[in-house]
Amino acid sequence: MIQKKICLLGAFSVGKTSLIRRYVDSLFTDKYLTTVGVKIDKKTLQVDGQDITLMIWDIAGEDDLTNIRTAYLRGMSGYILVVDGTRPHTCDTALSIHRMVRETVGDLPALFALNKADLKTQWQLDANQLKQLQQSGCPLLETSAKQDAGVEDMFHQLVRHMGV
Amino acid sequence: MDSLFASIYHTLNIAVFLRRDEQCFALQAQMPEWLMFFLGTSIAPQTCDLTDVFPYLTCFMDDAEQHWQAKRSAPLTSGVWVETNELGQELALEATALWADGQAILLLQDLGEKYRQEVSRLQQVRDGLLTQEKLENEVQKRTLKLKQREEEIAIKLVSLTSYRDEETGAHVRRIGLYAAAMAKALGWPVCQIDDIRMAAPMHDLGKIGIPDKILLKKGKLTEVEFSIMKRHTEIGAKMLQDSNIPALDMAAEIALCHHEKWDGSGYPRELHGEEIPLAARITTIVDIYDALVHERVYKKAMCEKEAVELMSSMAGAHLDPQLFRVFMELLPVMRRIRTEVHEIDDLIVSY
Ligand SMILES: Nc1nc2c(ncn2[C@@H]2O[C@H](COP(=O)(O)OP(=O)(O)O)[C@@H](O)[C@H]2O)c(=O)[nH]1
Ligand SMILES: [Mg+2]
Repeated sequence: MIQKKICLLGAFSVGKTSLIRRYVDSLFTDKYLTTVGVKIDKKTLQVDGQDITLMIWDIAGEDDLTNIRTAYLRGMSGYILVVDGTRPHTCDTALSIHRMVRETVGDLPALFALNKADLKTQWQLDANQLKQLQQSGCPLLETSAKQDAGVEDMFHQLVRHMGV
Repeated sequence: MDSLFASIYHTLNIAVFLRRDEQCFALQAQMPEWLMFFLGTSIAPQTCDLTDVFPYLTCFMDDAEQHWQAKRSAPLTSGVWVETNELGQELALEATALWADGQAILLLQDLGEKYRQEVSRLQQVRDGLLTQEKLENEVQKRTLKLKQREEEIAIKLVSLTSYRDEETGAHVRRIGLYAAAMAKALGWPVCQIDDIRMAAPMHDLGKIGIPDKILLKKGKLTEVEFSIMKRHTEIGAKMLQDSNIPALDMAAEIALCHHEKWDGSGYPRELHGEEIPLAARITTIVDIYDALVHERVYKKAMCEKEAVELMSSMAGAHLDPQLFRVFMELLPVMRRIRTEVHEIDDLIVSY
């Protein structure tokens, strides 16, 4: 059986944990419970008739209080950078994490998730930020953990991108 | 193991392992209850591959291995990870590698209460940060709205005052946008770009104080008339100064100096070169550009090529040559402003 490690990265409260809960357990809650420490979930899926087990690492949000240990990234096959469309600076955080990851582990399959798409009327990303996301060379997906939109597709796109 | 230590470890929810080889760890003393669910009770003689049980440790073992190779007695911690136990409760675990008594040791601890305290502390801090972020965001949005409204009012008022000599609202608006584009290219801070966008359009405000028979005169002005006409610079500056509002201070400066020339032959003070405030030098260039490429009662519109040629011949004498170069680089931007911001007559009609 193939096992692949992927990481969800981004500022705190962008919806990393919620995206994983939605994908793995089909659950969502509006209550915000901050993540402290790393949590690993497993999910088995079939790609071209082959079973793959995803080890999904939920890594506590990067902010002034916690930095991402580069050791977390060891053995990772790909990663998802999560942005909260309603909080513009989370986009800058995602972009800077992306740069940091590339500098430490090199070029790996990655994608940006613009989460909270159910709140799209309240999104506040400016043109310059969107341009930077587009120029990152990574796919850009809109997701809503709350309404279960684009979540499964996001994980599957990353898996396809990883070439398994 | 000494029974005293064993009982201490037990109380602290710590499991002690000796490293047998790269993958294999042997549990010392009694297995803490919390660990049973993960390891099972059947392992004999209780050796196991811990990274299999706790995948999180894959990101720690390399560092731990180095630590043991170097025989360091100082503890090296793995960082906290979270597992779910048999009751569906979350356990926060941390591993520690150290070298003691000539052996490679790995401790696993259920952080218990300590972790819950840390979580509730961080939760509070982050909730606070989120609220603060929301408030700041709200303030920013409102400030922007206020600023836009301020600018709108200023433009309406300014176009009212220039109503007499048929400068239109669109001209007024364009002058601000051209000037702001120049300021941006020069690397000005955002607040000053906002200021010049509002200030540049007010450069002719002083014309309010010029009598109709001079301001609207069709033919050439006599020398006396021209000297009166020139006074619109000082009148404008007087009207705008002493407000303590940065945009108006800048507007006063521009009003006073927008007829100064680079070579010192302008008015009212015959300033030279960089004695002329930068904001005024910028406004002079963009005002001339907009005037040349638009039609007036007394003249036809020039095409852009002609206008630029004429302005080139003024650079160094009338216009700041270096700023003019910046202007030329921005020509595509200027063109866009010119073609997108049209003569919207509603500004005049609606009064
Ligand atoms: N409206 C909306 N809220 C979401 C969505 N995803 C997450 N949230 C909420 O955002 C907050 C933070 O989510 P969480 O998953 O804990 O973020 P994390 O810190 O990145 O793991 C929680 O209150 C979630 O309920 C979404 O797609 N839409
Ligand atoms: Mg989380």
